[in-house]
Amino acid sequence: MDFKKYLGKKEFILLDGAMGTLIQKSKVEYDSVPETLNILHPDLIASFHKKYIEAGADIIYANTFGANSYKLKDSGYSADDIISAGIKNAKSAAEGTNTLVALDIGPIGQLLEPAGSMLFDEAYDYFKEEIIAGSEADIIVFETMTDLYELKAAVLAAKENSNKPIIATMTFERNGRTFTGVSPACAAVTLEGLGVDAIGVNCSLGPDELEPVIAEMSKYTNLPLVIKANAGLPDPNSNEYDIMPDKFAKCVCSLLKYGIKIIGGCCGTTPEYIKNIKKSVADKKYLPQKKNAGTTVCSASTVVEINGPRIIGERINPTGKKLFKQALVDNNVDYILTQALNQVSGGAEILDVNVGHPEIDEKKMMVRVIKAIQGVCDAPLQIDSTKPEVLEAGLRYYNGKPIVNSVNGEEKSLREVLPLVKKYGASVVGLTLDENGIPKTAEGRFEIAKRIVERAEAVGIDRNDVYIDCLTLTVSAEQEACRETLNALHKVKTELGCKTCLGVSNISFGLPNRELVNRTFLTMALEEGLDLPIINPNIESMSGAVRAYRVLAGIDKNSIEFINEYNDCAPAVNVPKAESDIDIFTAVYSGLKSEGAAITERLLETTDAMQIVNEMLIPALDRVGEDFEKNKIFLPQLIQSANTTQECFEVIKKHISKTSGSPVSKGKIILATVKGDIHDIGKNIVKVLLDNYGYTVVDLGRDVDPHLIVDTAVEQNIKMIGLSALMTTTLKSMEDTIKLVRERKELQNPDGTSKCIVFVGGAVLTKDYAMKIGADYYCKDAKESVDTAKIVLG
Amino acid sequence: MMNLDKLNRREAVRYLGGSGIKLNYRMDRLMDECEKEILSKSNPKFLYIEKDLPCNEIIKGNDIQNHLSGCEKAVVMCATLGAEIDRLIRISQISDMAKAVVLDSFASVAIEQVCSKVDELLAQKYSGWNMTFRFSPGYGDYPIELQKDYLRILDAPRKIGLTTNDNYLLMPTKSVTAVLGLSKEPVKRRKRGCAVCNMRENCRYRRNGEHCGF
Repeated sequence: MDFKKYLGKKEFILLDGAMGTLIQKSKVEYDSVPETLNILHPDLIASFHKKYIEAGADIIYANTFGANSYKLKDSGYSADDIISAGIKNAKSAAEGTNTLVALDIGPIGQLLEPAGSMLFDEAYDYFKEEIIAGSEADIIVFETMTDLYELKAAVLAAKENSNKPIIATMTFERNGRTFTGVSPACAAVTLEGLGVDAIGVNCSLGPDELEPVIAEMSKYTNLPLVIKANAGLPDPNSNEYDIMPDKFAKCVCSLLKYGIKIIGGCCGTTPEYIKNIKKSVADKKYLPQKKNAGTTVCSASTVVEINGPRIIGERINPTGKKLFKQALVDNNVDYILTQALNQVSGGAEILDVNVGHPEIDEKKMMVRVIKAIQGVCDAPLQIDSTKPEVLEAGLRYYNGKPIVNSVNGEEKSLREVLPLVKKYGASVVGLTLDENGIPKTAEGRFEIAKRIVERAEAVGIDRNDVYIDCLTLTVSAEQEACRETLNALHKVKTELGCKTCLGVSNISFGLPNRELVNRTFLTMALEEGLDLPIINPNIESMSGAVRAYRVLAGIDKNSIEFINEYNDCAPAVNVPKAESDIDIFTAVYSGLKSEGAAITERLLETTDAMQIVNEMLIPALDRVGEDFEKNKIFLPQLIQSANTTQECFEVIKKHISKTSGSPVSKGKIILATVKGDIHDIGKNIVKVLLDNYGYTVVDLGRDVDPHLIVDTAVEQNIKMIGLSALMTTTLKSMEDTIKLVRERKELQNPDGTSKCIVFVGGAVLTKDYAMKIGADYYCKDAKESVDTAKIVLG
Repeated sequence: MMNLDKLNRREAVRYLGGSGIKLNYRMDRLMDECEKEILSKSNPKFLYIEKDLPCNEIIKGNDIQNHLSGCEKAVVMCATLGAEIDRLIRISQISDMAKAVVLDSFASVAIEQVCSKVDELLAQKYSGWNMTFRFSPGYGDYPIELQKDYLRILDAPRKIGLTTNDNYLLMPTKSVTAVLGLSKEPVKRRKRGCAVCNMRENCRYRRNGEHCGF
């Protein structure tokens, strides 16, 4: 018997109950890792398995939950020792029965990026090791997962290193989310996409409280569902759980209507519970549920259902944007994150991410940007590149179900891109062009669309996950082409039943008042059935047109979203900017951002840009710094002033790049929070200030590998490095980093002295200690960092 | 589970180095906004477990021995505000740094208030006992490495999602682990203070002649 046969033949599949509970009750002693019992007391563990088999379990979980090398580090055993012993114990218990043995894998025990410091690839390696060690098992189970990202690493490790069936269950809290904020819907959409065989919930709550979680999952998947609940809640004193076996079984049965097929117990459950479940489901039927959500994409916390026009933000794309290109070259990810957050507040529900630029490593940058965006932004992403290897990197490190932009009708593209989309469970944009270019007629484009859909279905991608882009051509060049695009869109929507997507702004190229043309075209396309307009959501008339369309087409029921958006806003008339009576000094000192920018713009009409910087902005900021030192104002005010100066600088930068070319920088400085340390707020404050004194900050983030710091200094020829560490435990990393800087040949003068100036700061650091570990400067706060930069770089 | 309904604003201002500074209207508004956001995004959780002394698992170094001397039992505890708070602060570091530092200080206030509530709860549960103050790994010579053992003893990663990284930093970051001693005899109310604090050489409060309150 194997798992897939079980799925087909058995009405319900029974799992075992808790192993930990039996171990605790037996009072057997072990040193910190219960899985070591696999080797110390194999017979005892096998006897627990036997009890569950006798109670009716079809699948037993080997005692391997925490057997990863991270948790086993100090145990004296390897993951391979413990896991192969664990599987052997379970197999011996199951001998002569049809019971299957599962390799049971729990979380590694450390938080992944972006919240924690374990890398996705590190998690993958831990899981891979476990999976290879458990090759004798019949099935792989991931359970008690709270981070979808970690679970994705686990599933990929399983898929890429075995061909066993996979069950994946996550643990939810009473608020319906996991500890890291994953919703049941996101779990369902992502895991089904990744191709696991059954999904569900285990641990944390009793079956009585899991109904909302199970109900939500069932809406978003066609997979059989798994429930392995706790026996209620433990009493804090006795540690006894409060739901008895008969009630437990009854509760579970009341949830069968959601499509549950696989049932077991978690903490507090014993063989008695499994017996009761077996008895209770004996006369019941499995009720498979078809998902009732249509086309979906998601991040780890938010599902976007494409059941009407949804805005895809187009701004994360360097094409035609000088500042964006510069940000890519400078590795300035914060600039991109700002674009992401701004677009979401403008109304984008999905963000396109394109970082293609000849001067950078696009693949590396794609991974970096995707990881960074998903750390701060809930909107699902659309991974946009012409290079399959960049798409694959993006897909691999994305947390959720993304969209791939794009595949087209060319044989090479179909062959390279579609398997990636399938493997990672994404949706894909299909462009209606092929080896012969873009067909002139609607029919021609429709034919390519049809081919793309057929080929997608042939590799197992649902047509719901193919979004056809019928391509916008420039109306000033080919006036009749606009109609062809719209006709093709209509035909695809009605005849292929696919969702459609369209970049809009190309239509108006070469015409005056482009915004008006864009908006009108957008409205026409929406009426023809456009689902996913790719636009700049921060242009109010564009996102507004989509909102209005949703009302007029009866999608925004009772106009609720529309009213929420516009109820408070004043009538849209262009109020001329009031002549403000404050001066630039007051604006900076009081931290008034928009006033600062407006005044700067006015000043630029009459005053030289550098004069504004050197004679107005910097002195104002200096004064703020002095008052901060004298305790007249406090930290948030200092930062607000710095941010105001930043606004003023932005205005000046734009002005300069219009009139003369590249903006002036006083020099580059690397900032990083050292390896192992995740407290970066101090470093970020320093960054804001340095930025505003005109230095170009290359921010490498937190938990930064010393080699990356040194390599960056060499590559970009940077002479000043700022390091931050908050904890005594990470001061060692700081010392190591400085050592590495000093050792690197390229960063030395011919006489062997160092070309790099290193300044350090952080709560536990003292001046003496800073000197001891070889720093050049110790800065007690952000203000001193600026003073130091002035000394070093001028 | 635990609810916080108000945060100590004076403490938050003090963390920001603003004691004695009169807040202007805009700062006041920012403080209001941040207090509200921290309250709404906090998901405070805590765990504790009783241990009989002596307990080799948690005794390392002199300072903890002194702290628990004369105690028959100890309570090992941990608490966290949850992962949403870290995310909130991370996001505002991109969109509004000034707000981020205010959020950060309110979050520090919040986790301290959670711990105080746990103290109260334990005082009730162990009425008739005398209780020492909370002592955490990292104080004095008490190794921060024990942070990991604390979490294992409490099953904290699974029960409340609290973990450490390789450098023993707690994650989510706004979290605490600590031990309290219990004695039937009156415990000497040792002053918490600069002497056992590893920040003592570089403390901005001490520099200004203040005290952090710890």
